[in-house]
Amino acid sequence: MMDYLKKKFVSEHLDVKEILLVPIFATFFALTIGCLFLLATGEGLKNIFIAYSSLFIGSLGSLNALSETFTAATPLIFAALGIALAFRAGLFNIGAEGQMIIGGMAAVIVGFSIDFLPVWLHLPLALSVGALFGAMYASIAGWLKASTGAHEVISTIMLNLIAIRLLDYMLRSPIIQKEGRNDPISKSVLNTSELPQLLSFIDPQLRLHAGFLVMLGTVLLIYWLLFHTTIGYEFRSTGANPNAAKYAGIKATFTIVLVMFIAGALAGLAGANQITGVLGRASPGFSASIGFDAIAVALLGRSHPIGVLFAGLLFGALIAGGRLMQVKAGVSVDLITIIQALIIVFIAAPLLVRRAVPWIFKEDIKKDK
Amino acid sequence: MKTLTKKTISAAVVASLVGLSSAAHAFTACQVTDIGGVDDKGFNATAWKGVQDAVAKHGIDSKLLESKSETDYMPHLGSFVAEGCDVIVSVGFLMGEATATAAKENSNSKFSIVDFAYNPTIPNVVGQVFATDQAAFLAGYLAAGVSKTGIVGTFGGINIPPVTVFMDGFAAGVSHHNEMKGTSVQVLGWDPSAKEGLFTGNFNSLEDGRAFAQNLYDEGADIVMPVAGPVSQGSAALAAELGTDNLMIIGVDADQYIKDAKNKSVYLTSVLKAMDATVMGVIESVMDGSFEGGLTVGTLANNGVGIAPFHDLSSAVSSELAAEIESIRSGIIDGSISVN
Amino acid sequence: MVSIELKNISKSFGPVTANKDINIFAKGGEILGLLGENGAGKTTLMNVLSGLYRPDSGTISINNEEKTFDSPRDAISAGIGMVHQHFMLVPIFSVTENVILGNEETGFANFLKLSESERKVKEISEKYSLFVDPKEKIERLPVGSQQRVEIIKVLFRSAEVLIFDEPTAVLTPQEVAELFNIMNSLKATGKAIIFITHKLHEVLEVCDRISILRAGEIVGEADPKVASNKELANMMVGRPVNLSLERRSSKPGKILLDVKNLSVLSEKLDLAVSDISFDVKEGEIVGVAGVQGNGQTELVEALTGLRSSLSGKISYFGQMVPNMNPRKIHQIGVRHIPEDRQKSGIIGNFSVGENLILNNYYAAPYSKHLKMDWDVVSIESQKIIKNFDIRTPSNDTLAQNLSGGNQQKLVVGREMSSHVDFLIASQPTRGIDVGSIEYIHEQLIKSRNAGNGILLVSTELEEILALSDRIIVLFRGRIIKEFESNPAPEQIGLAMAGHSI
Repeated sequence: MMDYLKKKFVSEHLDVKEILLVPIFATFFALTIGCLFLLATGEGLKNIFIAYSSLFIGSLGSLNALSETFTAATPLIFAALGIALAFRAGLFNIGAEGQMIIGGMAAVIVGFSIDFLPVWLHLPLALSVGALFGAMYASIAGWLKASTGAHEVISTIMLNLIAIRLLDYMLRSPIIQKEGRNDPISKSVLNTSELPQLLSFIDPQLRLHAGFLVMLGTVLLIYWLLFHTTIGYEFRSTGANPNAAKYAGIKATFTIVLVMFIAGALAGLAGANQITGVLGRASPGFSASIGFDAIAVALLGRSHPIGVLFAGLLFGALIAGGRLMQVKAGVSVDLITIIQALIIVFIAAPLLVRRAVPWIFKEDIKKDK
Repeated sequence: MKTLTKKTISAAVVASLVGLSSAAHAFTACQVTDIGGVDDKGFNATAWKGVQDAVAKHGIDSKLLESKSETDYMPHLGSFVAEGCDVIVSVGFLMGEATATAAKENSNSKFSIVDFAYNPTIPNVVGQVFATDQAAFLAGYLAAGVSKTGIVGTFGGINIPPVTVFMDGFAAGVSHHNEMKGTSVQVLGWDPSAKEGLFTGNFNSLEDGRAFAQNLYDEGADIVMPVAGPVSQGSAALAAELGTDNLMIIGVDADQYIKDAKNKSVYLTSVLKAMDATVMGVIESVMDGSFEGGLTVGTLANNGVGIAPFHDLSSAVSSELAAEIESIRSGIIDGSISVN
Repeated sequence: MVSIELKNISKSFGPVTANKDINIFAKGGEILGLLGENGAGKTTLMNVLSGLYRPDSGTISINNEEKTFDSPRDAISAGIGMVHQHFMLVPIFSVTENVILGNEETGFANFLKLSESERKVKEISEKYSLFVDPKEKIERLPVGSQQRVEIIKVLFRSAEVLIFDEPTAVLTPQEVAELFNIMNSLKATGKAIIFITHKLHEVLEVCDRISILRAGEIVGEADPKVASNKELANMMVGRPVNLSLERRSSKPGKILLDVKNLSVLSEKLDLAVSDISFDVKEGEIVGVAGVQGNGQTELVEALTGLRSSLSGKISYFGQMVPNMNPRKIHQIGVRHIPEDRQKSGIIGNFSVGENLILNNYYAAPYSKHLKMDWDVVSIESQKIIKNFDIRTPSNDTLAQNLSGGNQQKLVVGREMSSHVDFLIASQPTRGIDVGSIEYIHEQLIKSRNAGNGILLVSTELEEILALSDRIIVLFRGRIIKEFESNPAPEQIGLAMAGHSI
């Protein structure tokens, strides 16, 4: 299965057609089929038009829309980068959700418990402790794989379950639980550990925060790591051909632990980003399945950092636009889930896309034969 | 140039269409659900029924946003503020903080939240709370009277006041029965003094609903009250398999006999919170200009809470027991019986 | 008697013309040799013949009757049978079950008429001297017998035209001789046979006529009675080829590799290499001959640090290497051309440049403090591309887009461009074109003449004979025989089949 996924979802070099055109057409077809779904559920054509124009306006049509798109995309991209990186090295990291939870928990504890640091120390500390704990948590799966051969898919799924329950438990511990509350909810982080809002000078309700910039920097950093360092070379060769990597003297065990460590750090950063940039506190389900949606983002982005960036922005746009769609057209938010799933289907079957618009992919089709 | 013109035209069409729908601006009531979703057959659904009742009665517009995760609360509320809703109803204790934040940031918008009371109150928010323990007390008394094994059970979604208040009332009703009748019916799943008990940790897993009810049944309970939104449907499915001789269910929030039609026969009764009535009341107060921030409390006295008819299981309830329940109801209303 | 004729067959895939205007014919009672290098269009032509592809133009006639094949089934019912290079047999089924698979005769209530089929299989095997037990399970048969089952399969479907696609690749010399006997007996019963191969001496030995395919076209015909090896090679490659290698006599010096009592376990924990001892000296090539699967893979893996050995000693340059691993072995100057370039020699979706630094990416000048220097990689890899004649559009081309020969030259170039003290070359020319084989052989000889030691592992007996100064033959993990120099091929063949006399 891994080989199949790799063939479908790993793009070794930045190929504009592969990374941009296929997803764009996939999105287009998904929207078209989504439209058929709406017709089938008895929506009128006018309402469908309103739904889709709101999807567009709600994601790109205003400053607030863009702010929402970017805010929703940021944690997805952080976590998806980690999944993509592991995928490059031949590991299927299903555990981003759990790593996010652990990272977010660590960030929230640093965020509310340290009250003597200035913002320029406190915030980076909260983010890096979040990343570190996510990294350590993911390393467990890496270590299990390297030392015993335990399959990372199984172990990361189990670690997700543990993380979810651990979160429930910790949110009730007196040190973490908010004073005067019975329900599982953490104390709020202090102002000094909050990611500053970027557009509050225009309108304090624009939620876009500095985590977006950290994310952009991280995309470049991961790109550099993957393509311009020996570590990236080792990751890529281990993933692309483990036999050749072994032949080249690359130690698979070390590579596995290291790549899981970095993947976990990125997922942990996604959690810390949500805590310090959006939520301000932790509660059950604060990770909001972002760690799972990020798997789709990583696959859609062909496990290439730049591809992941665009895929994440697309998913962010669907989330933000889906909200306005629900408001204006009264269409269920489940349609967005269907559209996301359809996009993945079309990406997984690029031949479908190519056959549908043969004039764009003329040469490629011949090559396929 | 040509394509540019085309784009400009279509953009204009979009703008005018979208503009149209908001230009014909009628009074609009908007609701944000919590993560249970609008078809939770519980409080989200009941509150939405209140909005729909107002739509039917006054011909107003309504809008709905369903939250998929907690991160949706703030942006959803923000969207409705931007949309210019005349009143925004949020549902559930868990939305308390988000609603407060949104209300403070948008002091011109009017909010109402189901199941949350602010202390101090916020001038543009009406909190809707319910003396659910009064109704649950009746259900507890009923359960104790009907139980053949002498053991009844309950479990919750998560340990938060709007959930545990049901369980408190239920347990108090059972002990009232024990006091009055000299019985020793036991309550499993909730210890009112320690404030601890059985919780699924979620409001959406039907599988949990089945498993928790099975556990209680295995411990001897023959009546179970799940306080966890749609989770209770899982318990009802189990009861339908076991048969009502072995297990009966007490529903919460709305009359589950009507909401959960598939397994309706297993519901002995339901503890009702008439959120539809209070939500509609708030909408009407905004329409006639009498809206004022603060608190509304639903009680047995104002029919804000109550218990549902016994429907298919009325044969299980003796006429004496039914009469006792009626007299306790009046006792609670006049204050002669304390539910604590 | 049957006859088959292909007229003006053309087939292209987009811009690539795989077959152009091809005319061949074969009639019953003769063997047509179709000689061509890998990539010359042999496989496409056979897929056209067997109904897998439809030609863009041209016709196929059988007994002067024009046929169109929409599927392999049509081709089979027209009497065409393919004996594939890679066997398509179910290991846990019996011979008969494999033969009837897809063509099962059933009787009452869909029960298989197995005994009747067995009788038929026996009949066929006796008629054509294809001796196999119809009841034996495939997994218990040696490779040569498995091939016979493939042939029976084709005859069972009453094929009149038999196509053999590179049938000798997996056989021992003795098995090859038996196969040729079988082909001759088939010919005697009036079947038409098309024999596809790139091995010159085989077509000369067994064929009645030879057609030579190059770059998708038939470039000529030859009469095996008069044609020579050299003529055929020239036609096949399209330029004069130097088949005989000039070799100075070897002047062995110090011992470079010393193996003592080495035993190695296989993946399945069988004893794959059992108690073997040999050495390789400066300035000599030691050839390791043997049929595939007799411990060569495990031996090479143990020597290069890819697999730990069970017992015994391996010393390079007079010293044992503690904690052997591939990187350490590389660092002390041992180079390794792995047996399967696709599996471990190259990374298909890495560029040529990225592949050329696989062993030393971590060191200067290619990287410094973890940072890759792609400019240096590009300059250095262009040098290797030029020096080793790797035909690639650029060093950014993905390795998977190169031909097999150029992929192999990439591997050879990578291993031999940095300083070499000792070279382990495993199947260095498997499945590549004559031009590349020639080039790689020259490189090996050059390296040997420069005083390096080379351990050459090959299942191609010709290659072993052409290059080796000494030969050891592996059979079931043991050295069954050693030859000092220029032994007769038959002797090695016997040793490969397990005869130690």
